[in-house]
Amino acid sequence: MSGHLDVQHVSKRFQVDGKPIEALSDISLSIQPGEFVSIVGPSGCGKSTLLRLLAGLDRGFEGNILHDGKPIVGTSLDRGIVFQEPRLFPWATVRHNIGLGLQNAPIGRTQKEEMIEAHVRLVGLQGFERAYPHQLSGGMAQRAAIARGLVNRPQILLLDEPFGALDAMTRGKMQIELQQIWAHEKITMVLVTHDVDEAVFLGDRVIVLAPRPGRISRIFEVTTRRPRQRTDDDLIHVRNEILLALEAQEPKPSPLARSTGDLIERPAA
Amino acid sequence: MTSELTIARSIGRNVLQARGSDALADWFRRLWRGALPLLWGLVFPAIVLPIWFAGTYWGWLPQQILPTPSEVWSTLLDMLRSGELKMHTTISLLRVVYGFAAGTAVGLALGAAMGLSRRVDDYVRPLFTAIAQVPALAWIPLAMLFLGIGETLKIVVIAKAAFVPVVMNTSAGIRNVPLEFAEVGDTFKFSAWQKLRLVVLPGAIPSIFTGLRYGLTHAWIALVSVELVASSEGLGYLLVWGRQMFWLDTVLVAMIVIGLVGFATDKLLAKIEQHLQRWRIHGA
Repeated sequence: MSGHLDVQHVSKRFQVDGKPIEALSDISLSIQPGEFVSIVGPSGCGKSTLLRLLAGLDRGFEGNILHDGKPIVGTSLDRGIVFQEPRLFPWATVRHNIGLGLQNAPIGRTQKEEMIEAHVRLVGLQGFERAYPHQLSGGMAQRAAIARGLVNRPQILLLDEPFGALDAMTRGKMQIELQQIWAHEKITMVLVTHDVDEAVFLGDRVIVLAPRPGRISRIFEVTTRRPRQRTDDDLIHVRNEILLALEAQEPKPSPLARSTGDLIERPAA
Repeated sequence: MTSELTIARSIGRNVLQARGSDALADWFRRLWRGALPLLWGLVFPAIVLPIWFAGTYWGWLPQQILPTPSEVWSTLLDMLRSGELKMHTTISLLRVVYGFAAGTAVGLALGAAMGLSRRVDDYVRPLFTAIAQVPALAWIPLAMLFLGIGETLKIVVIAKAAFVPVVMNTSAGIRNVPLEFAEVGDTFKFSAWQKLRLVVLPGAIPSIFTGLRYGLTHAWIALVSVELVASSEGLGYLLVWGRQMFWLDTVLVAMIVIGLVGFATDKLLAKIEQHLQRWRIHGA
């Protein structure tokens, strides 16, 4: 089975105002085929940067990232991505937007139509195939984006805070739907989020990142059987542990640290 | 599946589909909404026309300078009947069509090249800006020496007038297509051609059309300028000739036709633009 990701000693630096900023420092991580991995951390911990590296959207890093043993060079049809904003093309209908994922798929026209149709159903957008993005609610637009990410059957789906801009009720429903889709598709998913509940509810493992420089601070296994209930005791237990871990890596608030803000190198507690 | 979906679906249906029983009421509402700006637009003519009448009636100005509205009206009818107006209008329209077509063709190509390639933009932008700063009218004396005063002169001057806004809006439109959309193309391994066809061009169309509309307006203005200076036919020539003969009714007729044709062509382009950008129209 394919869809294996291997991250080996990956570091990434950005130049900000001429000064190098270390965004990621020595990240090593192995993601199994069919696994659901959540990555959480405070803002600025480099979780989106890591996901963009996995997608092949950004280059120029140290270390190795292997997809089924092959180094990642640029994007690939085997790795789909869903961004925080749906990024649907406003001039195209839902159907056309989903079909973008099949532009370069080596299949015939009727087969493409069938694939689009199947994925419209998968995300529950029947009846909206001809709608334009501005006619959709936020949740529906993100569903269309998920369908677009899945339509060419990637081995891995990368999700960059896909529900971050949705209201709490919609977010909860989308999480349940995503869990169903994952169970149905049986592909690897990597979810970046700042929502600990979301990370625990969906993930087989939760990677906790610490900021400045971005690095792995803890890894939690979530062994709760699926389909899960949010009220499951062990889910709540893991969630509390993660929240404690995140709190522990925050520096003690002091007037000095507050006034100078992010410029001070903070030791991880 | 979920109640959120159901709600969104019912909203969607309202937006997407027929309006059912209150279709008639809605039709009236739309008619009213369409007519209202038209009525507002008629306020000023409704004020100016009586003043014109009064001015000629009480002889505020000599009749050679301000002819009566009825005189202008009968001159208009005469010129329509004799075919004179049609002849001048056709000649002017053809000049605009050729000039606009030439200016737009070159403008679209250059604008696209400047929008797509930073290097081309760096090479061309300074010279282009300098040329754009000199109005079409100011090019006429120099252009006359090179091209004479034949049709080529008129078409080149009109083409230049259309060219400038087309280049500016095309390059800006292409450059302003969000990078986020290009990234979506990257994740699906779009080729350069696919990116152009599926991302860049559709994203730039609104801006390109703005350029075309400005281009047409400028072309029409340049036409009148160039015909005023160097022509023996056309609506601009009609203006000069009317003034020289002190036929102010002819001058006014020419001005009215120029205004009406300009108005009509702009509206036509606006309609086409609206059609191409159905996805931009929000709600119903």
